[in-house]
Amino acid sequence: MQTPEAVHIDHAGPQPYMNPYLAGIGLGLVLLSAFVLVGRGLGASGAFNSVLAWAVNAAAPEHARHNEFIAGYLGDGSESPLKVWLVFEVLGAFAGAMFSGLLAGRAKIMTEKGPRVSVGTRLGMAFLGGMLMAFGAALARGCTSGQALTGGALLNLGSWAFMMMVFAGAYAVAYLVRWQWR
Amino acid sequence: MTRWLSTLTLNQKLAVAAILLGAVALAARPYAGGQVTLDARELALAVSREADHVEAPELAAWIVESRADYRLIDLRSAAEYDGYHIPGAVNIPLAGLMDAGLRRQEKLVLYSDGGIHSVQAWLLLEAQGFAGVYMLKGGLEEWKDQVLFPVMADNPTSDQRATDERRRVLSTFFGGQPRSASAMAGGAAGAVGAPAGLPAAPKVVPPPSAAGGAKPPVKKKKEGC
Amino acid sequence: MAMTAPFFQYGMFGDNVSLVVAFCIGIGFGFFLERAGFGSARKLVSQFYLNDLAVFKVMFTAIVTAMLGVTYLAWIGWLDLSLVYLVPTYLGPQIVGGLILGVGFVVGGYCPGTSVAATATGRVDGLVYALGIFAGMFTFAELFPWLKGFYLSGAGEAQTIPQVFGLPYGVVVFAVVLMAVGGFYGASLLEKRFGAGSAE
Repeated sequence: MQTPEAVHIDHAGPQPYMNPYLAGIGLGLVLLSAFVLVGRGLGASGAFNSVLAWAVNAAAPEHARHNEFIAGYLGDGSESPLKVWLVFEVLGAFAGAMFSGLLAGRAKIMTEKGPRVSVGTRLGMAFLGGMLMAFGAALARGCTSGQALTGGALLNLGSWAFMMMVFAGAYAVAYLVRWQWR
Repeated sequence: MTRWLSTLTLNQKLAVAAILLGAVALAARPYAGGQVTLDARELALAVSREADHVEAPELAAWIVESRADYRLIDLRSAAEYDGYHIPGAVNIPLAGLMDAGLRRQEKLVLYSDGGIHSVQAWLLLEAQGFAGVYMLKGGLEEWKDQVLFPVMADNPTSDQRATDERRRVLSTFFGGQPRSASAMAGGAAGAVGAPAGLPAAPKVVPPPSAAGGAKPPVKKKKEGC
Repeated sequence: MAMTAPFFQYGMFGDNVSLVVAFCIGIGFGFFLERAGFGSARKLVSQFYLNDLAVFKVMFTAIVTAMLGVTYLAWIGWLDLSLVYLVPTYLGPQIVGGLILGVGFVVGGYCPGTSVAATATGRVDGLVYALGIFAGMFTFAELFPWLKGFYLSGAGEAQTIPQVFGLPYGVVVFAVVLMAVGGFYGASLLEKRFGAGSAE
């Protein structure tokens, strides 16, 4: 198999990122603490669903009730769809990431992209990527944190299959979108 | 050995640690915890204290008061539940009790036909660390006898009159019907006291405020991950 | 050793406290994501150009750490593993969903969790990506009547790899550790070959 020409991606200057193994151990311990404290793992995509359900319900309640997917996140209406574990966890993640970024001097208003592509194009791709990701996460009942990390640690068969598919899908398409990053 | 270890980089040390931990884990049996430990003495004390019993009239009073701090569980089959159940009860057959997602901090009141199953279920839950499990003393039979179809004295004293009146009100509330003592003594129908049929549905549906706590929410919010 | 964990399932605190716990755990989550550099799309996608396999390293180290932790804590009887939530299996949707998610990952440069980390550190593309997620979820919800059939297909209860393959739990754990460590070694070789001399 012919090796595709190596794609090199510029990082924004020398970044003193943490040793990935140490960061992984940290992340793993956070995940473990979730198991021990509340009997569940981490997650992210579900929080987006809850926020979406809340927003649709606020803007068009009947439409929300009639939509089976969204209605699931509303329950019986006794409590706000935002009052769920995941939403609070994601808020915490926002805070934690901001804290780490500020601490490391990596917090900066910018757009991550390659040098040869415009900001607009990159943002368009980001939006598209988000839409695709949402479809994938909705179908799979989770994303890399909820399914791959959590299910992976618990040796959940479906999660491992999912994880491998994520890598497969990403590697398959990576070469086609390399122009974003070059 | 220690000198070799000290020549390793951090990453390599982590790798060695991981492999060692993994190797030891070969013998792991993480699901052996399905077993429970019972302190027999403590359990015997709890049983003799009868602190975990709830009398039928007491439960009836809770329902009338719309108390929402407990969960009433019917341990019988779905068919029996559909036939008649105490208002506010959810149907969790005994076999499915472990998988029902009951929380250990909840106050649970169990009942079955005569009380035997509720006792067995009580034992299972207590052994797993549930601290708020109660049994309806006498089960559905007692419920019928004391709440639905209470026996009224023929010639009540003034005290008995007051009690009987309370029980009559309670019985009517639940769609039952008081019986007179004389009818019973006459050996009516040989059946153990109950008139022909149980109320098809409770005459009074508990107000919504009771439903919120005593019953699980009709539609639980989905959460996903 | 008496079973006491998971604490929430053992009644040590109620719903409202669990939300506070969620926030705190989330802080740790976001912190380490950013520490690893996953607030940056370029760092993330470098995985898929074999320049920098931090994604693989962090993810699998986290998996191995939590997996070993869970195994040991359950083994000593402190953690009741049966009370820890496992996502049920939906074979078709999980496989197809995974593929689509992978594509979305490399097209957009993030996944939901990392997009939150990126937005928190000022990345506009992270924010736009998150908006894309909302748009995509809304579209999915609108199309749900047609997707529902597939969405519910291949349903089964959650099963662990040891269960399905009839292997002792510890054997699978050890195998995963070996695979991960082997993978890390392979990753370092790939980075030497394809890497741009990046951070790790």
